[in-house]
Order: sequence, then structure tokens, then C-alpha cells
Amino acid sequence: MKNRLRSHVDALATAVSRLTKSPMTFFYPDYEEDKPYGYRGVILYSNEKCIGCSLCAQICPARALKMYRVPGDKRLRPGYDLGRCIFCGLCTDICPTDALELSSVHDKVFDSLESMVMDPVDWTLWSRKVRGEEMARGRKMRVWIDEDKGLRYEEVR
Amino acid sequence: MSPVSWLSSHLGLPDWLLRPILAPLVYPGLLAFMPVALFIIWAERKVTARVQMRVGPLYVSRRLGGVLQLLADGVRIAFQEVIVPETAEKYSFMLAPIAAFSLVAATFTVVPGGPGVYGFDSNISLLIAYALISLSPIVTVVMGWASNNKFSQIGAGREIIVSIAGEVTLLASLLAAAMMYGSMSFNAIVEAQNDAGIPGIVANPVAALLFFIAVLLITDRVPFDLVLGEQEIVQGPYTEYTGILFALTMALDYAKLYVLMLMFTNVFLGGWMPFNTPLIGSLCVFTKTLVLMLISVFLRSVYGRMRLDQVAYLFWARLLPLALAAFSLSAVMHFLYR
Repeated sequence: MKNRLRSHVDALATAVSRLTKSPMTFFYPDYEEDKPYGYRGVILYSNEKCIGCSLCAQICPARALKMYRVPGDKRLRPGYDLGRCIFCGLCTDICPTDALELSSVHDKVFDSLESMVMDPVDWTLWSRKVRGEEMARGRKMRVWIDEDKGLRYEEVR
Repeated sequence: MSPVSWLSSHLGLPDWLLRPILAPLVYPGLLAFMPVALFIIWAERKVTARVQMRVGPLYVSRRLGGVLQLLADGVRIAFQEVIVPETAEKYSFMLAPIAAFSLVAATFTVVPGGPGVYGFDSNISLLIAYALISLSPIVTVVMGWASNNKFSQIGAGREIIVSIAGEVTLLASLLAAAMMYGSMSFNAIVEAQNDAGIPGIVANPVAALLFFIAVLLITDRVPFDLVLGEQEIVQGPYTEYTGILFALTMALDYAKLYVLMLMFTNVFLGGWMPFNTPLIGSLCVFTKTLVLMLISVFLRSVYGRMRLDQVAYLFWARLLPLALAAFSLSAVMHFLYR
């Protein structure tokens, strides 16, 4: 009986003491976590480097990449289904000319499921847009392990 | 001259007719309830976030700390389509939330919100308030049945078990208090505490504790929120509701919490105790009620949900014997309020 009462008091005291501490999260769209080296975000495509070998479409385990015939082009070019992508990065590893690359972005919004399926032309344009945004994103935060809270965020200068 | 008599002389209506209209509609009723619900739901989310080291709602009105978030939600919900499932029983489905909320709103006529601020005074107003409050679970069961959904029906079944257990404890603590003050009228109870200078919570802390725990159960607050049980049965009896009807079901629990905490303030905290003028006395009652509501929503961040059998055991086997202790304590403490 005494122990039970004590555990109630302990729980209440813990909650009250937590009320005085500052939150350990950060304001997400204003601040952005500093991504570690090798972070696998969405895959970007550069049209001019691609030789149309279709190795990427062969290795893609989720069949997110598919070769398309583009008007005015002899070779097949990869198209990208972001809805299927599992961000494994195998396509960027196998690409012989580094036409595919990993970005540090993963939070992209689309109007509809259909607009997530991009043909080579769409993908090229979209990749250019994302590259430009990546440069212009908000303040970066680095994460630290904190004894008090667990996690702490600090701005990277 | 009180505001009510001033208004009645201007409108040409008798005092006794105006009071039962003003009390449930203005203060302590729905007009006062709107900002209270706005503030309490915001505080609930903010405090829970703070305890879990998050920020909580912030995007709507960032400078005010996101306090208008619920208003934004309310506007969205008000313009949402009300969907009635094909298999639902249409009329009882649509009318049940309205009936339940009206029942709770009708309770405001008997519970005073300050000195001389009440709908009507009666010798049995405590029992009237209790009867109106305990009618609304029946309508909740109707909601669960009319929805024709397995989650709603499980929720309605839980509501039956839980509300019987809670209301017995609630009635026991109220009767113990009434026995102590020798009256069942809220005004007489507050006056008795005023005359003695001792609030009921000091004279009979057992009854006050029982009342508080029973209120947590009746209004589905967190350790006893198994009627809603979000992780198990979606939203309990309210699962199928959308739009303005969903807003009513959500407001129902908060309105119940508000009116029951108002009753707690009057019965155990001495109502408007240090003050006697209508305006400051009403503010005093309002503040006490708000603090009590804040305490009860704060518990959400401390406790987990109890199982149905644990709740039934706690209320029937542990708290009901305590109610007998509260009765005997009342019999002893009766001399204070003679």
C-alpha cells in the first residue's frame, strides 16, 4: 500500500519536474537537421551525364526505375517512381557515369500519386529544382547526445 | 442591483423566467464554456507536450503559443460534411449527440456559478444535477448502438459498465457531502461553508477524493479513458461521427468535466468563499473550476490507461468501502456546519 502511494507521488513529481525543462525537439521547417555523410535521400538525375545503359533499371529492387523512350533520342532513359523508391542507393552505386546521385532531401510533397511517377524529362527538371532548393534551405542543426534530455540540437555555423 | 434583475426590468420579463434561460446559455453555461473548452484542450495538449519534451501546437497563432489551434480545428470540423453510414439508424444516430449535449447543458440551470448567479434554486438541486449528468451515458449507449459499428458497440458496452461504477461512487460522495451540510441545495451548501469558514475538502477529504476520481471516470479522462480507448477501439461510441456531430461528442466530455468541476467547487471548495459580490464571487468560482480542470487534464501526461476489470475492481471493491468511511466522517463532521 505504501509503495503504491509512493509510486503515484513519484510519477506526479516526475511529470511536474519535466514541465520546467525546455523541449528537446526543434522547429522543423525553420531548422533542419544536419544530415550525416552518406545520407540517402531522393535520387537526382542529370540528363547530360546519362549514357542510357539501363543498369539502374536492372538493379532497382523496388522497380522504381523504368526505362522510357524519349522522343528525339535513340537511347532509352530512366524514369523514376518516387512512390516505389526505397532509397537503397543501389542505382547510384552502379551508375557508370554518376548520372544518378543521392540527395540529402526526403521531405517532398506531391499533389497526387500519379505525379510521383516521373518520366525522364520530368525527372531532369524536378532534379534541377531540388538541387536549387537544397542550396537554399534553412538553418542546419546538429544533434548531440545529452545526459539530461537524451538529445540536444545546436546550430551549425 | 444584480445584472439579472437589471436585464429583467429592461426586457419586461420576470426574474424567475429569465434566470433559467440565462444560466445555461451565458454563465455558467455555454458562452463561458466555449473559451474554457478552447483553453483547456489547448492546455491539455501543451502540458502533455511539455512533459514529453515536445513543443505542442504552435502553427496557428505562434505568438500566443498556438492557443487558437482549436478554433482552427473547430472551423474545419464545422464545415466538414456530416456522413451518416448506410447501416446506421439515421435519426437516433443524428439526434443522440444533440440530446446528450443538451442534457449536460441543462445541468447548468441548477449549478450556481457565483453568489446569486443560478438558474433556479431548489431543495434538491444536487440530485437534479446528478440525475441530468447520469442520463447522458444512456444517450451515449444509443449513439454506440445506432452507429452499427463494432468499435462503437464495444465502446457502448464499456460505457455501461464504467458509468454505473462511476455514478455509484459519485452519488455516494455527493450524498456524504449533503449529509455533512444538512442540505441538498447548492446555495445552502456554499452558505454553510461560508458561515463555518471551512471548505468541505478540509472537513471531508475522503468524499472530495472520491468525487474527483469518479469525475475522471465519468468524463473519460486519462487513467480511465477506456470508453474512448483510441489505441483499441478508435473513438469508442463516437467512431462513426464526422463534422459538427463529432465536435458535439467531443465537447460533451469537456462540458461534463466543466459542470462536474463546477459542482466540486461549490460542494467541496466553498464556491465563492472569500468573496460575496456577484462579479468577483463568480470570477472566484470560475478560477477554481479552471484550476481543477487543469489538474484533471494534467493527469493525461502521468498515467496510462487501466484495464476494464481493473477499473471495475477499483471502483466497486476499493472506492465504495471508502464511501462508507466518507459517510461516517460526514456524520462526525456535521457539527461544524450546524
